[in-house]
Amino acid sequence: MKLKMPPKLNHLWLSFLFFFSVVGPGIISANADNDAGGITTYSIIGAHYGTKLLWVLLLITISLAITQEMGVRMGLVTHQGLGGIIRGNFGVRWTMLAMIGMLAANIGTIAAEFAGVAAALGIGGLSKYYTIPLTVLLVWLILYKGSFKITQKIFLIFSTFYIVYIINGFLVGPDFNQAFKDMLTPTIEGNMPFMLAMIALIGTTITPWGQFFIQSYVVDKGLDIKHYKVGKIEVYLGAFITNIVSFFIIISTAATLYKHGIPIIDAGDAARALEPLAGQLAQGLFAFGLFAASMLGAFILPTATAYAICEAFGWEAGFNTNWKEAPFFYSIILLCLIIPALIVLLPKISLVKIMIWSQDINGILLPLILIFVMKLINDKRVMGEYTNKLWGNVIAWATIGGIIAATLALVVFSVLGYNS
Amino acid sequence: MPYLSQLLNNKIKDSGEEVAGRLADILIAPQLGIYAPIKFLMIKQRSQKKDILIPYEYVETLGQKTVTLKTLTASIPTQDAAASDLIYLRRQVMDQQLVDISGARVVRVNDVRLGMFEGQMSILGIDVSLKGLLRRLGFEWLDFGNVWKTNLIDWRETQPVKGFLRLNIISKDLKKLHPADLANIVEDLSLKQGSRLVNFLDAKQAAQVLEEINPDLQKILIKNLGPKRVNKVLAQMSPDEMTDLLKSLPRKEAELFLQKIKDVSAQKVDKLIKYPDNTAGGLMTLDFMSARPNWTVAKTILEIKKTSPSLHYLLYVYVTDNNGYFYGAISLRWLLISPSEIKIKKLLKKYPTYSLLRPNQRIPEIVNMMTKYNLFTAAVVDKKNKLLGMVGVDDVMRCLAPNA
Repeated sequence: MKLKMPPKLNHLWLSFLFFFSVVGPGIISANADNDAGGITTYSIIGAHYGTKLLWVLLLITISLAITQEMGVRMGLVTHQGLGGIIRGNFGVRWTMLAMIGMLAANIGTIAAEFAGVAAALGIGGLSKYYTIPLTVLLVWLILYKGSFKITQKIFLIFSTFYIVYIINGFLVGPDFNQAFKDMLTPTIEGNMPFMLAMIALIGTTITPWGQFFIQSYVVDKGLDIKHYKVGKIEVYLGAFITNIVSFFIIISTAATLYKHGIPIIDAGDAARALEPLAGQLAQGLFAFGLFAASMLGAFILPTATAYAICEAFGWEAGFNTNWKEAPFFYSIILLCLIIPALIVLLPKISLVKIMIWSQDINGILLPLILIFVMKLINDKRVMGEYTNKLWGNVIAWATIGGIIAATLALVVFSVLGYNS
Repeated sequence: MPYLSQLLNNKIKDSGEEVAGRLADILIAPQLGIYAPIKFLMIKQRSQKKDILIPYEYVETLGQKTVTLKTLTASIPTQDAAASDLIYLRRQVMDQQLVDISGARVVRVNDVRLGMFEGQMSILGIDVSLKGLLRRLGFEWLDFGNVWKTNLIDWRETQPVKGFLRLNIISKDLKKLHPADLANIVEDLSLKQGSRLVNFLDAKQAAQVLEEINPDLQKILIKNLGPKRVNKVLAQMSPDEMTDLLKSLPRKEAELFLQKIKDVSAQKVDKLIKYPDNTAGGLMTLDFMSARPNWTVAKTILEIKKTSPSLHYLLYVYVTDNNGYFYGAISLRWLLISPSEIKIKKLLKKYPTYSLLRPNQRIPEIVNMMTKYNLFTAAVVDKKNKLLGMVGVDDVMRCLAPNA
């Protein structure tokens, strides 16, 4: 009634607005994929294997689009988060298993975010023994007292710093022919580090938390199945954009570090990939980007974890409550800050290794979550007419199968001692 | 006094000690305000693919350790499928969401409490506590000190809103509820949940429920319905109720709605909307039965049969001439006991002179008049004695006790 605008004039503007009201989940979730673990993993992939693993990146871009679309669709149809739907359909025990799996993966990822913060500020010469406790305190205070939404937006804007990788990617004069050739020709090495790198690459791109996050985001915004088309386009776009960035991180490090045989041991090494663009400023630029990306993850992940668990077990959740009303919600957040912080604070632990290993844990645990998603999305009682189409199923199951095969290969190689 | 989690998957033995299968689910027939008794056990048989239903009359004991049947399995008339109004406790209640009205929050059903009530095994409550969660996980021993309390929600209390547990249950059950009860529930719920509930009803039901809701909430709910649905709902309302509702809206919005409903009822509303709320004109309805003086009793009764579905209630027939000028009223009872060929105007003479209301008369006067003459309905006429409408006793009552 109030909107009595001439329809023609505002049509374009409205549909633009509408797109951006639906936009968000795919792009945020995808953007947050390029977090500390992401940047480090892609850098290491490029530095240690050149462009050889780009074929995996191409495949998982498709998988990411497909799996995120399933999350959006499930949220739109059921109006519940993934945790709630698992609980409603599989009972307490399976829910417990899924939640423990997600919690383990997320604690690993949060540890990677803190490692990212420590590494970024370490470039500036600050010790992790000061920076990490301060970061935990800051994140906690902002979550408990401040505005989660505003903070999230600030760091989201900061994280557009990835554009520098795209510009840099052209400046380093990479061998695009080789890159595209590698993208289309699968190569596999039969040893443990290669398998670890491959699983980390998958696990940093398609994540258990991403699956939970995108679904609750859609539900939280109160979107409906009528928003499906726009949501789908947005998710595909998000998957594409995020992996364009990943692609350029890999070719940047491939054309600099790999070419000169420099392995990545700490974050400073990874920063050198930006030297063609930024020269002397490369270290500072990289540190800033890594810090922003890590902080974004450090805010989103504990919150997303706590929401999913509380929804599954029917506990009060949300920042409009206090500790007394929602003790579980705040306890989980606190736990998700303290445990990862303690891991990062272990003396002599390699920050880069935390960042990449956590992505391996994510990759290994991903099939568990995806199998739940697959069972649900093909259940007529849950999805009605919106169950998966054949191709969605083929790609999703191929992804699950691929990760399981890679994990098995990893186990076999480590038993046989194929370490190089 | 078992919990559902302790019963599921238990072996079921018949009177010959043969294992009939394992307990897969329990079915109840939900009914408002009572502890619903168990109707069927669903049994999973190893040899058969399909689960079967055993009527509860054939169950001897339903315990944590054993479930036994009264006869041999073969002699029980089992069923494959249940009537659609039954609820599966495992599939449709366990682990689902539940809106706890008292706390206005969403909780999960951790377990279901069963027990004997008036000699029948029934569903007594819903366990939403941590202890229920531990029981489901098989970790109840962790609570050896009995630190955690079981928090049961009485099944009878959950009944009215259990639809939030599963929306498709709500539709069936809400139809059985009286609109006034539904309205009370909506008033109890949070705004968001209330609008959801109203949105869930079909237009006619929504109209009836909205009519019963207090004006402040009504206003907000109407806004939440969205313009498209509001039109549908308004179209289902009687003109006088629609008038009340539109009066509660800002004038501009009310006019917008009126423009959209371009039919007879809109004209009626237009007539009604000009009188203040607490007068006979504001209270009256335009849906009444009128007859011409020269109709016979038989014809009048025939006309009543035609018109009746659109009338709220019918106690008197108001007699007017062709131009709507008031002649008198005749009670339904009088009409029924009179010979069918007699003309209406003849009956009117035998009837005592009737007291009439003017549109600007206020509530106290109306109450006095209606009480004095023992009237359930009273006609409202203008200065020239033209019949405008009719005030019913329930309209007056609503004014006197607005919160009921």
